[in-house]
Amino acid sequence: MPIDLTVNGKPVSAPDSKADMPLLWFIREDLRLKGTKYGCGIGQCGSCTVHVNGRAMRSCLLSLEQARGASITTIEGLAGKDGRLHPVQEAWLKIDVPQCGYCQAGQIMTAAALLARNPAPTDADIDREMTNICRCGAYVRIRQAVKAAAPGLKG
Amino acid sequence: MNAQQLNRRSFLKAGISAGGLLLAIPLCPRLSGARTPAGDSAGGQWCVYVTIRPDNTVEMVSPIMEMGQFMRTTGPMILADEMDLDWSLISFSRRIPTLLKRDGKGEIVYDHAQIGTGGSNTVRSNWDYLRRAGATARRMLIEEAAERWNVSPDVLDARDSFVFEPGGGRRISYGELAEKAALRRVDVSRIRLKGRSEYRIMGRSIGVIDARDMVTGEPLYGIDVDYPGALQAVIDRAPALGADIASYDKAAALAVPGVRQVVEIERNIDDHWPEGRAQIVAAGVAVVADNLWAALKGKQALKTQWKNTSEYAYEDSEEQIRSFHRLVSGNEPAIVLRDDGNVDEALRSADLVLDRTYEKPLWAHACMEPLNCIVDIREDSATVVVGHQWPHRAATEVERITGIDALKVEVISKRMGGGFGRRGEVDYLREAVMLGHKIRRPVKVTWTRENDTEHDFFDPAAVIRIRAGLKNGRIHAWHHRQAQTRGEPEHVCFPSGLVPHYRVERFPSTSRISVGPWRAPMQLQWAFAVESMIDELTHAAGQDPLAFRLELMKPHKAHPIEHWSADVIDSGRMAACYQAAAEMADWGRKRPPGVGLGIAGHFTFGTYVACVLEVSVNEREELRILNAWGAIDCGFPINPNHIRAQMEGGFIDGLNAALFNRVVIRNGQVQNNNFGALRWMRMREAPARIEVRILDHGHGPTGVGEPPVAPAGAALANAIYAACGKRIRRMPIAESIRI
Repeated sequence: MPIDLTVNGKPVSAPDSKADMPLLWFIREDLRLKGTKYGCGIGQCGSCTVHVNGRAMRSCLLSLEQARGASITTIEGLAGKDGRLHPVQEAWLKIDVPQCGYCQAGQIMTAAALLARNPAPTDADIDREMTNICRCGAYVRIRQAVKAAAPGLKG
Repeated sequence: MNAQQLNRRSFLKAGISAGGLLLAIPLCPRLSGARTPAGDSAGGQWCVYVTIRPDNTVEMVSPIMEMGQFMRTTGPMILADEMDLDWSLISFSRRIPTLLKRDGKGEIVYDHAQIGTGGSNTVRSNWDYLRRAGATARRMLIEEAAERWNVSPDVLDARDSFVFEPGGGRRISYGELAEKAALRRVDVSRIRLKGRSEYRIMGRSIGVIDARDMVTGEPLYGIDVDYPGALQAVIDRAPALGADIASYDKAAALAVPGVRQVVEIERNIDDHWPEGRAQIVAAGVAVVADNLWAALKGKQALKTQWKNTSEYAYEDSEEQIRSFHRLVSGNEPAIVLRDDGNVDEALRSADLVLDRTYEKPLWAHACMEPLNCIVDIREDSATVVVGHQWPHRAATEVERITGIDALKVEVISKRMGGGFGRRGEVDYLREAVMLGHKIRRPVKVTWTRENDTEHDFFDPAAVIRIRAGLKNGRIHAWHHRQAQTRGEPEHVCFPSGLVPHYRVERFPSTSRISVGPWRAPMQLQWAFAVESMIDELTHAAGQDPLAFRLELMKPHKAHPIEHWSADVIDSGRMAACYQAAAEMADWGRKRPPGVGLGIAGHFTFGTYVACVLEVSVNEREELRILNAWGAIDCGFPINPNHIRAQMEGGFIDGLNAALFNRVVIRNGQVQNNNFGALRWMRMREAPARIEVRILDHGHGPTGVGEPPVAPAGAALANAIYAACGKRIRRMPIAESIRI
């Protein structure tokens, strides 16, 4: 039975023979959506974070079988259909967060999922939820950008 | 042709984008109008980075590689400012052209800009070239307008992509002038570089030109490239340095659907920085497949067994550190690097002597983007797609291994997902070229994180013993004795020149463990030991750590040094950084119990950085990093946004290194080869706030990428001491305190 799932609103399908393939590689290599990054393959660094049914998850740890039927959003699908950036992406630009930039898609996906659940995160919330590694150490600006994007912290 | 004329010949090329004009400006290497060989049409340098379109918009390709250090933004700023371009009219290509030529000795070097990046030297190595290129282009545009208006070019000015007559006269866009202007010759004596007060782009805080591409997930990195027709390879590398292949199940790997070939890669030994000692590029078994997942599965199916019997099998990082302790604590003579005054006598006559030993383990680079390289070796030409700090090495490796002329190698340079020195090594190029040469098919090699860590070129481990003596409240004698995996202490840094009796010595290195440049190589360990010792002396003398340092820097003086990256070290500029960091931190304000401030500074790559860190340590010895304040004097601040970002990120990188980074090697094999076992700093461990002040005393621009890293370790150790009275002299610090 082929594995059907939805990626960025589009139905996609993979043969059952790929059931054990990590979702990360399916996204990057089969769908050629390169924004989701490989960093460690063991769920530590978070560079591969995508939304699975709205929750931030590390796609390197999720097999295609486990993603069967799921609705996946990658960084390429975060902006609106009209091309308008997500508020987290806007905040990232405003604060000028990225250095090497490699981890940033994962950081943004984690932040977007956090703010969807918690529109006014405290520093402690941010510390707890934003567990992605940024090798360049852009944490000060990541924190600022999460706050700048938080709908409950405006005004 | 007049030898004073700048251009050897006019040059106009089709633009990069349709309808565009590429302003390709020949420039002599020196502004002075030095004679170039007659008839040498390629004798000058060329500015090939700017395309001005008739509608006055500009496309710029970056003259410099990018690994997160902002050079793809800063390089264009320099060029655009001298050219008086309107920054808002510029769109930036993702391309980073890798233009090579052979120099007089037959060596492959960069044509045009020095595209490579490392040693915090990128701005300095391109500063003159990019300014001259911009100023020359500006003059060509002005002269073209002058001819059209039949006035002297000297009465015209240019600003924001227009040439104009001052005083409200005519104006004309660069877009209208570019096609004809590109054909002009310019008299070198007419080229004038701007003074600092005339800069309109430099000195402004400008955001990263690729930021939008990065936050939308565009495929910018080498690992993102799908090269037409390329097979995917994953290499099962010897997990231990120097191990050889014993056996592997080729049939099992070939049985994985999609796997095409299994190819052995030989062990390779190379002379290597520093000291030209042999270092290893591991043997491996490459699994070549139609897709990456098949290659990864094929690698697992190999079940490769290794013969770990070479001399490298005895390498043990912990035993190495123990041996360093034995060396520095004994009386064996070492290599003396500097010896001022009479250290032994001065230590005997001092009022107080401290004898302390500081320790640092091997550090991994752990670039966020694991290494990767695409090669396409054809009959007599080749293409390499790679993010490399020194991209000419891709061409020279192809030439060395295949015999193909390096100038027939197209190097497609990609943004690097971190470099930190690791992406200056040739091993990942060499291996991919060897494989591509063997299989005669385009191939992409992707490293796993585990391999990336196991086959790193680590920052050396070191043990540093300092004996320092105080006399009348000042440092009178200083004896630095160090043993390390490889390399030598940064003995040109403070306190050299400030202490009358001063000796730095190191032991020769015997280790076979691979080491290489790591963002501010061996600088953090120097600053960790020196600034910790200064702190210990301060407290022993009952003085204030800031006041003690400010006193140490007196008299303010530029001391000459012999170092490739700088020729003076100025104690006044260092003192100003200490002062500024302390001011921002409100140094004199008493903190509640359990909260402490630590201060440390460092000079390197021509730049001065001081920082103050605030931490809390509770009764359970749990450390929390609170805030940091940093002051930097890197000469002229070209892009303050970039400098702030590097101060924030570099300081956190240094804190991470000091707290967590530690690679353990046993039997020649890395024991902690992925994040987790190799602990890395996350948001909750980083300072929530870092305030930065940029000091500008009118000097030329110096390095920014590396200097902020070095003082972090000592600032942390000193802050912990101030918070709880515990002195930690061994990195990783997280092994001595809870975080």
